[in-house]
Amino acid sequence: MIQADLNVILPEIVLAVFAMLALLGAVYTVKDALASALVWATAGLMALLAVWIASATGGTQVAFGGMFIDDGFARFAKVAILLSAAAVLLMSQDYMHRRGLLRFEYPLLVALAAVGMMMMVSAGDLMALYMGLELQSLSLYVVAALRRDSVKSTEAGLKYFVLGALSSGLLLYGASLTYGYAGTTLFTGIVQTAQHGEVSLGLLFGLIFLISGLAFKVSAVPFHMWTPDVYEGSPTPVTAFFATAPKVAAMALFARLLHDAFGGAVADWQQVLVLLSVLSMFLGGIAAIGQRNIKRLMAFSSIAHMGYALIGLAAGTEMGVKAMLMYLAIYLTMNIGTFAFILMMERDGQPVTEIDALRQYSRREPGKALAVLILMFSLAGVPPMLGFFAKFGVWQAGVDAGLTGLVVASAVASVIGAFYYLRIVFYMYFGDETEEVLETNGSPVLWVALMGSAALMLVGVAYQFGVEGAAAAAAATLVN
Amino acid sequence: MSLFLIVALPFLGVVFPALLVRAGRDASASAAGTATLLALIGLLLHAPAVLRGEVITARIDWLPNLGLNANFFLDGLGLLFAGLILGIGLLIILYARYYLSREDPMGQFYAYLLLFQGAMVGIVLSDNILLLLVFWELTSLSSFLLIGYWKHLPEGRQGARMALAVTGSGGLAMIGGMLILGSIAGSYDLTEILRNKEAIQASPLYLPALILILLGCFTKSAQFPFHFWLPHAMAAPTPVSAYLHSATMVKAGLFMMARVWPVLAGTPEWFYIVATTGLATMLIGAVIALFKDDLKALLAFSTVSNLGLITMLLGFGTKMAAIAAVFHIINHAVYKAALFMTAGIVDHEAHTRDIKRLGGLRHLMPLTFTIATIAALSMAGLPTLNGFLSKEMMLAEALDTTWNGSRLVLPAIAGLAAAFTAAYSFRYIAHVFLGPKRHDYPASPHDPGPGLWLAPMFLAVLVVAIGLFSQALVGPLVKAASYAVTGGDLPEFKLKIWHGFNTALFLSFGALLTGLALLRLHGGLERGWNAMPRPEAKTIFDALLRWIAELSRTVTDRLHDGAISRYAMIFVVFTLLLAGYGYFSGTIGLPTRDVQDAPILPIIAWFCLIAATALLTFLHRNRQLALVLIGVVGLTVSMSFNYLSAPDLAMTQISVEVVTIILLLLCLNFLPKGTPVDSSLGIRVRDGVIAGAAGLGTAGLVYALMVRDFAFPTISEYHLANSKTGGGGTNVVNVILVDFRGFDTFGEIIVLGIAALVIFSLTEALLSTRVRAYLLNRKPDWPQSGDAHPLMMVVATRVMMPIALMVATYIFLRGHNLPGGGFIAGLIASIAYVMQYMASGFGWAAERQHFYYHGIIGSGVLIAAITGIGAWFNGVPFLTSDFGYFQIPPLEEFELATAMFFDLGVFLAVVGAVLLALESLSRLAWQPGMVTEHAMDINPARDDPPEAEDPAQTAVKED
Repeated sequence: MIQADLNVILPEIVLAVFAMLALLGAVYTVKDALASALVWATAGLMALLAVWIASATGGTQVAFGGMFIDDGFARFAKVAILLSAAAVLLMSQDYMHRRGLLRFEYPLLVALAAVGMMMMVSAGDLMALYMGLELQSLSLYVVAALRRDSVKSTEAGLKYFVLGALSSGLLLYGASLTYGYAGTTLFTGIVQTAQHGEVSLGLLFGLIFLISGLAFKVSAVPFHMWTPDVYEGSPTPVTAFFATAPKVAAMALFARLLHDAFGGAVADWQQVLVLLSVLSMFLGGIAAIGQRNIKRLMAFSSIAHMGYALIGLAAGTEMGVKAMLMYLAIYLTMNIGTFAFILMMERDGQPVTEIDALRQYSRREPGKALAVLILMFSLAGVPPMLGFFAKFGVWQAGVDAGLTGLVVASAVASVIGAFYYLRIVFYMYFGDETEEVLETNGSPVLWVALMGSAALMLVGVAYQFGVEGAAAAAAATLVN
Repeated sequence: MSLFLIVALPFLGVVFPALLVRAGRDASASAAGTATLLALIGLLLHAPAVLRGEVITARIDWLPNLGLNANFFLDGLGLLFAGLILGIGLLIILYARYYLSREDPMGQFYAYLLLFQGAMVGIVLSDNILLLLVFWELTSLSSFLLIGYWKHLPEGRQGARMALAVTGSGGLAMIGGMLILGSIAGSYDLTEILRNKEAIQASPLYLPALILILLGCFTKSAQFPFHFWLPHAMAAPTPVSAYLHSATMVKAGLFMMARVWPVLAGTPEWFYIVATTGLATMLIGAVIALFKDDLKALLAFSTVSNLGLITMLLGFGTKMAAIAAVFHIINHAVYKAALFMTAGIVDHEAHTRDIKRLGGLRHLMPLTFTIATIAALSMAGLPTLNGFLSKEMMLAEALDTTWNGSRLVLPAIAGLAAAFTAAYSFRYIAHVFLGPKRHDYPASPHDPGPGLWLAPMFLAVLVVAIGLFSQALVGPLVKAASYAVTGGDLPEFKLKIWHGFNTALFLSFGALLTGLALLRLHGGLERGWNAMPRPEAKTIFDALLRWIAELSRTVTDRLHDGAISRYAMIFVVFTLLLAGYGYFSGTIGLPTRDVQDAPILPIIAWFCLIAATALLTFLHRNRQLALVLIGVVGLTVSMSFNYLSAPDLAMTQISVEVVTIILLLLCLNFLPKGTPVDSSLGIRVRDGVIAGAAGLGTAGLVYALMVRDFAFPTISEYHLANSKTGGGGTNVVNVILVDFRGFDTFGEIIVLGIAALVIFSLTEALLSTRVRAYLLNRKPDWPQSGDAHPLMMVVATRVMMPIALMVATYIFLRGHNLPGGGFIAGLIASIAYVMQYMASGFGWAAERQHFYYHGIIGSGVLIAAITGIGAWFNGVPFLTSDFGYFQIPPLEEFELATAMFFDLGVFLAVVGAVLLALESLSRLAWQPGMVTEHAMDINPARDDPPEAEDPAQTAVKED
């Protein structure tokens, strides 16, 4: 029995055991001198695990009495999480090394966070959900404050921790209410109680608290306040990590909870998600206009993007989940490329994050400028870039689910959003002359990440990024 | 030739000019030309069939589940536009070959141009709106690259930026509109959508869709109030201006309006929005054009005006107007492209485009003069030229249409616009070519080589030919295109020069004469115009952008000022608003439980609680006082547990309370005794109101829940029923801790241990820094007590220690059946030790302490784990407890449960954690030399002045 259970969570065990062994190994040997090797080892292991999980053909497997579910949906999310975490790790190695930030704990904390995320997307029980979420969050709190001698970084870590603890509190309160009124913490049990029209007031309370707690994690407005500060304060590679894998994990967990546990009461949570989505898209769009720091801008951009992804979730249909997964996969790719570029930006060896610094950039580096242009257009959702198809997918799901108002609002928000992405392009191509030269001589890894993701934004259109089938299958296993 | 190929050819052609640029400019140009020519031939092969009324289609399912299919269709409208795009494109390619100088990167230019051309052809042939949107945005993108082609000109940058901002946002708005249209029609195929007129016009989403789509069209076609970007985009090379800003791209908006005409037109909303916008644009563009001195600016505003004219015709919503619109599209494209090219020639030869510096060129450039005159006269609307015909039709339509009940508004304004059009057309001829020859041209102008004049010459011939033989030359095309626009039967019409003497003709001639008069008065009018204050659209646009950025920054700064208190406030206020909305808009049902009577005791406790919290709120700046008040709250809570028959909880709460207060006191020792005031009274009152409202809301919520029945019976029954039989204990709380939820407890003691270790490592890290020196040298806020270790207390604690430990053992042992247990016992034992530290001093206690607290924590966790693992050997899951009854004489029969060992683990972990925390915090103020051998020593520093010697040395001396 236990054997079978352990078999199901073998990938998680492998990663967790690796992280702990490596931690012990590094502590008792040469510590930070091992850091580079550990980065590569962790990234390699993650990539291997991703391949392993992706090639697993088995249907839905349940372990620990339903607490842990390994199905197509979980596998899709896990592959996305592992690959993006591995990519970000590799991208950060050079940057961290040159700024003396490359401690051996960094890759291991990322690995532990990844274990937490894998737990989250497989959770079949409120307990398992919380376990995974906390493992992830605790690792992220530490990573956010990695640069201990910087006031901003420590402040970011502290803020993240305080607000994250608040959100965990909300989530736990919701979980206990749900348990109290449903009589079980298992999703399969809750879903039998939570049928539309029969949801008791108490259960509804629990649901709302759970949603609020998770909204914190996906940084949906009005639970987004930590995002800009944490994005700005953390070291850039950490910001890149925050903007990618955890978002996928939190959105996937969101979908899992709403569909597996509250799938019978779509109408009850739909309106909440619609509100979260509209607020996120608009606040993200409007607030980003005034930003001068590209990291803060990306923070608001991620808030807005989560708003778009939430449309797919709000639709409450299989198609919606599929659109959301597609959106996340494309969003991940765009963000990895964009952050690869941000990681390259420096002047006299110091990192630069001012948008102003991009003036006339296209003159010096036409190739990279073109790649950034493509990424920005894609983030703005301009056809024919892949970003448009991501948006289009969720819009279509929204319209089919009768959320036309939301979709129209979202189209308006995307116009607002286009403004600030295009502003970056203006600066690069048509900015005023500047004496201060921006250097972008990043490592080859960064170059590959930037060019690769830009190329995908163009080429991906032809075959819908190649993950559509997987996303459809994943959505089918979640919604039924 | 397949439609796919026609669309693909320009895109395929993109690579060749770039590759061939090393082979020379001719190779590059001819590669571009060949691709265009092939596509044009392919198109013309289909022309006969299309003119017969057939529709050519080519369909491939691309991403059917997304609704995105590579479907193309070619009808009359598509043929007209594709012909214009490819035909004029060919001429532009020829012209640009000679226009661009040797330094300009020609391959890049042709690559962009072909990219743009392909996108345009894609727009007009798409049968799928998603595909169309893809091409639509591609034109924005490639035009952005083309406009910015001359990077060294700052105006070029400005123009490109504005063009992209305006058309890009419009395009995104159009996407929204198109998606709505598609969702109403249930398909994203244009042909399918065009069949659903009734459904679309009846839909409540018709107006939003209309507005969003029109936003896209108006921005693209530079309609008022978005007209300002077009003239600024003219900083691009002239071939680009000629191609994008007169012949093709700006017409994409018109094409779109014509395309959706069958389903959207004919409603009052359509008429008033589209026709009025067109009318305003036509007049404003014409007036501004008259006062522009830059040749290209003049032509740009003239284009704006002409686009307005066509928009207005489409807005009328009648079939005749649609025919006129189609006809004018052809005519305008022909003469305007020719005019742009002549302007380019003048610029190229005279090195200036400023009308004020030109004049008399007819002697120097007779050929250019001829071409320009023919084209300009056509634009003015002189009979026998093609411009006259369509303008005549426009005036006739305007005369037939009522606007808001008035029959005069449209013809009057249209006539006025026509007069201004004539005026600036004449000015183009008169002030550039006529007049005396000058001697101060920046360069010596002369007619260029045939490469430059061939293309405009061809167009000028067309101007005359269409004017004379309109029916024969373009009649079938106009008919086919109009058929496609209106989507139904057309009224009989014939394109001809002479319609007899009618009002339109008089109006037309009137406009021409007024135009001449305006030209005569131009000098005076211009002075008046320049003196008149008028809003400059570009300044407004820039100011608007600045204002938006400023607004956004203000909003963001207020919302995200970095203070967590602000974030919390937003969060709380938002929650309150939502809750208020929910409360007032929803129903919560009636209470199902009665409110119970309140005896006097709870009321007193309640009063204490409220008083303590209220006092705490007001006195929290005095930290020690605050701590005391928190203690009151804790004790009240403990007592209420007791009152509600939960002695376990009460005991736990009391011991936790004692330990935490002691630890907090210890921390406070190192901190300032007061909290500074950091916000003004107003802010504090505001925050107080918010907090009060949130508190009351929460209280209301709790009340609402309490007076209603739970959905399920409480889970306590289960535990009560199974505690004795399953866990072997009658103290349910303890059984829950060590048995039912033993796993949780196991986790908790680990967390507790980790917390203590973290405190240890934090203080350890702190002690290795300079902070330690600060701490040692700090001046206490209050005078220290001379008697650090009072005799009475020392004696008392030493006597109490064995008693306290005894109590702890007792509580521990009885725990399984009566209130008590390892957790409480651990706390009590800790208090026994803490008392020693407090009374006799850290050094004294530490010397007598022989076990590392780390080890105690670790052994606790290990014992608990081993107990849990032991269950495996019994063949049951982790932490399953077992119990039995034993009798060892002379004792009574007693019960032993494995849970007791687990409890022992809990006990040790708690003791270790509490004491480790205490020890860590104490070490901050202690240093190795400071051993107080005798507990009851007197600190002589009390009587010394403040700058007394180091207390450490004093302590040693005392020994």
